Amino acid sequence: MKNFKLPDLGEGLPEAEIVEWHIKVGDTVDVDQVLVSVETAKAIVEVPSPQAGTIAKLYGEPGDIIHTGEPLLAFEGEGDDTGTVVGELKSSGKGDGNGAQQDQFIVGAAPSSKRARANRATPGVRALAERLGVGLETIKGSGPGGLITTDDVHKQASHQKQLGEAEPLRGTRRTMAKNMALSHAQVVAVSIFEDVDIGDWKKGTDITMRLVQAIGKACEAVPELNCWFDGDNLSRQLLNEVHVGIAVDTPDGLFVPVLRDITHRSQKDLRQGLENLREAVATRKIPPKEMQGATITLSNFGTMTGQYANPIVSPPQVAIVGAGRIRDKVVPYNGTATIRRILPLSLTFDHRAATGGEASRFLGAMVLALNNAS
Amino acid sequence: MSQAKQSIETRDVTLVEAVNMALHRAMADDANVVVLGEDIATNGGVFRATVGLKEAFGFKRVMDTPLAENLIAGTAIGMATQGLRPVAEFQFMGFIYAGMEQIVSHAARMRNRTRGRLHCPLVFRAPFGGGIHAPEHHSESTEALFAHIPGLRVVIPSSPQRAYGLLLAAIRNPDPVIFLEPKRIYRAVTQSVEDNGEALPLDICFTLREGDDVTLITWGACVQETLQAADKLAEQGVSCEVIDVATVSPLDRETLLCSVAKTGRAVIVHEACRNGGVGAEVAASIAEGAFLDLQAPVVRVTGYDTIMPYYRNEQYYLPQVEDIVKAVEQVIAL
Repeated sequence: MKNFKLPDLGEGLPEAEIVEWHIKVGDTVDVDQVLVSVETAKAIVEVPSPQAGTIAKLYGEPGDIIHTGEPLLAFEGEGDDTGTVVGELKSSGKGDGNGAQQDQFIVGAAPSSKRARANRATPGVRALAERLGVGLETIKGSGPGGLITTDDVHKQASHQKQLGEAEPLRGTRRTMAKNMALSHAQVVAVSIFEDVDIGDWKKGTDITMRLVQAIGKACEAVPELNCWFDGDNLSRQLLNEVHVGIAVDTPDGLFVPVLRDITHRSQKDLRQGLENLREAVATRKIPPKEMQGATITLSNFGTMTGQYANPIVSPPQVAIVGAGRIRDKVVPYNGTATIRRILPLSLTFDHRAATGGEASRFLGAMVLALNNAS
Repeated sequence: MSQAKQSIETRDVTLVEAVNMALHRAMADDANVVVLGEDIATNGGVFRATVGLKEAFGFKRVMDTPLAENLIAGTAIGMATQGLRPVAEFQFMGFIYAGMEQIVSHAARMRNRTRGRLHCPLVFRAPFGGGIHAPEHHSESTEALFAHIPGLRVVIPSSPQRAYGLLLAAIRNPDPVIFLEPKRIYRAVTQSVEDNGEALPLDICFTLREGDDVTLITWGACVQETLQAADKLAEQGVSCEVIDVATVSPLDRETLLCSVAKTGRAVIVHEACRNGGVGAEVAASIAEGAFLDLQAPVVRVTGYDTIMPYYRNEQYYLPQVEDIVKAVEQVIAL
């Protein structure tokens, strides 16, 4: 049953006396059909039905006093009415099992609106800009309140004529730009540097392979840097296998194919694997999965120019090793100034995931592994 | 509820329950906050907005008043100038007029008149708007009367979350705030609201939905119909930005102009009658500040310039979803 309570009859009167029922139990009524006449202190008032329905119960006889807000009659069907003494409030149907929603709104203007507001221009200026092929978003208005003027559009047009239009990034270069910006925004990067004396290396030593294997040794010594870190949930996963991402520079941008499970493979096998990956990159036949799943990265820019670097860590990885150009340097060796072969090493790590001590020990383990003649 | 709750709790609440939650929070946080009005203490208020306050904070801070709105307003002003932070309830917006002299000539001007020596940190709460089958003096929307008065802030929440955050902000504000609660949606929406004591900013609009083709500007209960109209229009491929003005005075023109600069079109929706309504001020502001961005005239969807009709006809009076859709179609065609 659904109760209909005596509404406030508009006079703020607390009660009314039933004079006459115009319906009886079992009757079907329409909206606004008169249900009952009641007498208040001021007048006889006819109370209309708030809904269509069948009358299930009457709560009084002629002569009875009903207070405002008390049940007057009941309709068949579910639920109580939502009426207060003064009207009917729609209810959200709490407990319908759908659960309450979180309120979502932006305080103030939406970001897209703020951008639009930045390009204020008269219709004439807009037409001119369109004719000259100038985007208003590329112009900072010089007029009052940042209004873009005719002069601003002409200036930008001649500027564009001289320089040509900007080239939109595509493919790998575009991906690189996005990923680098994202990594740079998230990672708390710290870099440390060290020189390695490789004067004892045999001629023809495979530098990249030595670096890869040294990373393997260092990961065994300090597993905290061979790790995937989730900054959103503040969790990390130390990994048993070491998969090294090898940064490969191409005219189209940066590729980082992954050399898998380097601690359980022979140097020859690794070298062959790396050649296959390089070949695949060069011919643009590398499948995306070959560039996923690295646990740490090596950027061997020493084949070109540069000694030290602070390369960008790519989440969820926590470390990247940079190897600079090998050179002859005068260094103290057995108490005398001697010319030795020096390999400059850089290690950048995410300080959210690892401590400075761990990174320093990692670099130390790499130096130790690289110092050996073989 | 017998104790003032200090712990942070998240509850699924309606708009009127959010008002109650904010009152509890404000009274627990600041011993200077007092609540007064007709039947608000022992009874808990005509719409139950103040239920539980007297039990939690005692009759010295939660006061039933005589049925005399001029007295309620004047008492609140006296309390406010002497260091309390009263929150006074008027049972209905239609009853405020008896207190108008106090509100306009004293609350709004106290800071100016005393050259800053006294000020009036108070909130006048009142349910407003129609659509609940109540008589005309329980159904009106006369926010423009107060928006016209310098020195008054007029704040209108349109969701449980905003009711909670804006009421806290209003109570903490050092000057008088007219806080109008759209009673048609008092219980129409349930939202999960965290009772964390965090206020939302006053004097700024809320962008409820981002869109590109037209800006729908509204407040109060009409936010519901406006969002429904935006849904319908989305099906037709029209992307609507929906802005809840929230503080109708002082008006956050910056947000409105920003949005119209993007969309080039504006439709204003309010329940109050059209003549001299807040929508007129919004439209004039857009004409002054975003004329160069407009692609169509600003259109208003409002109530009629008549006394709020008795409930048999109130749906004719209230702006309907179809009215808003039609108005948008009209400006999109240009």
